[in-house]
Amino acid sequence: MADDAAFRQSFAARYRNPLLGTLAVALFLAAWQAIFLVVPFNPLFISKPSAIFLGFIDLIDSGDLAYDLAVSAVPFVLGFVAAALVGVPLGIVMGWRVRVGYALDPLMTVFYASPLVALAPLVVIFFGVGVGGKALIIFFLSVFPFVFNVYAGVHSVDRLLVNVVRSLGGSEWDLYRKVIFPSVLPYIVAASRIAVGRALIGVLVGEFFAASEGIGYAISRFGDIFALDRMFACILTVMAIAVVLTESIRFAERAAFPWRSER
Amino acid sequence: MTAYIQGRNVNLTFRPPNRSPVRALANFDIEVEEGEFLSIVGPSGCGKSTFLNVLLGLIRPDSGDVLMHGRKISGPGTDRAMVFQEFGLLPWRTVESNIALGLELKKVPAEKRRAVAARLINLVGLAGFEGHYPNELSGGMKQRVGLARALATDPDVLLMDEPFAALDAQTRDLMQAELLRVWREARKTVLFVTHQIDEAIYLSDRVMVMSKRPGRAKTIFAIPLPRPRDYEMRVTPLFNELKLEIWNTLKDEITV
Repeated sequence: MADDAAFRQSFAARYRNPLLGTLAVALFLAAWQAIFLVVPFNPLFISKPSAIFLGFIDLIDSGDLAYDLAVSAVPFVLGFVAAALVGVPLGIVMGWRVRVGYALDPLMTVFYASPLVALAPLVVIFFGVGVGGKALIIFFLSVFPFVFNVYAGVHSVDRLLVNVVRSLGGSEWDLYRKVIFPSVLPYIVAASRIAVGRALIGVLVGEFFAASEGIGYAISRFGDIFALDRMFACILTVMAIAVVLTESIRFAERAAFPWRSER
Repeated sequence: MTAYIQGRNVNLTFRPPNRSPVRALANFDIEVEEGEFLSIVGPSGCGKSTFLNVLLGLIRPDSGDVLMHGRKISGPGTDRAMVFQEFGLLPWRTVESNIALGLELKKVPAEKRRAVAARLINLVGLAGFEGHYPNELSGGMKQRVGLARALATDPDVLLMDEPFAALDAQTRDLMQAELLRVWREARKTVLFVTHQIDEAIYLSDRVMVMSKRPGRAKTIFAIPLPRPRDYEMRVTPLFNELKLEIWNTLKDEITV
């Protein structure tokens, strides 16, 4: 019995922070639900958690949610992977070749700072509403965090390590592979956390503008027909996916670099 | 007969952007015999580390010749290797793969690399730590890795840039003894830069005192202590006479 009490205490103590966070979410949902008991909202304009939950079950049952998510996942993955594959090398070269950095920095800053969403209609005109057009919007939104994080990361490369590899006969290519890339790995992970959020925006924007399927299209269609329960179900699903993706990257950040841990 | 390593009339001026140029080496001359242990002591900023970097091939002098085997040094080469003051270990590599780095860059096959690393890990007394990362090692152990990495490519010349300056006093004493043991086995020519007169005398065949910046060779002292050296020699009258003599030469160059 005493052991049990001690266990319960340590359980509460160990998980206090996540428990507090969960409690806040639960209270928020409860308050949302409760306010409908007091205020007679028109259900045409606002929904409540219990109705959203039923709509969610309905969407899962029919398979619509899974289908829309699968449709949206393809351009998401393509655009995001392309952003990493282009952004990381570009950031590395901009950081390491000083002149390339000076040349491209202003141009990249303009793109990064401007609301690229404004270009979405243009992309739709050029490339249509298929996978290609959506992937391109996602690519443009998520490539710049990679470029700028890695660019900054190269400046933190330890010059001593560069000299070590040079003195042992390493070539320029060896420097990229054995010093610069491993040095900027933590910056790449940090960049992907930012880029995931922007890529999700890209999915929704692309599908809002013109699409016939996908999670973004589902949200705007349910809005058009005032099916707010199912619209909120889709929105909350996207939010949950965003949280899961960024948190798993944060977790990977801690787990992936054993040399950084103090033991 | 020409010396094994020869620096003749070496001049080097650093020109950092937006700051006034710094003259690091002025008419610097040096001769090192094959298999010799030569230490260079001098005031801070006298250009002694700079000269090691010239020898290593990382910096090109403005004028003068630096020769090895009578051939001009024009870049890094596997006949020379450096042990750095701040170790310079790649933090994402284990002890073993840090030691094997030079061999990897030379495209030596993995099996051979492992064999060489294993032998050097034993030589520097790191058995059991092959899979550790640098941040799990003490300063002394890190520099053992640094020494093993420099030896891995089997260079003819070891360049050591204040290798023990970042270590505490006791660890430094131990590492000096270790270095002498490794040097006896590996038989390399060593150029050793240090601030410490004791260390220079204890380790070296000859000690060169450099002038303050811009650095020139001021005086060279032969160290007639017998080998193998042991710790007791550091309290003999001969050792102390040498220390006093070198200090008297050096102190004129030091400005506080």
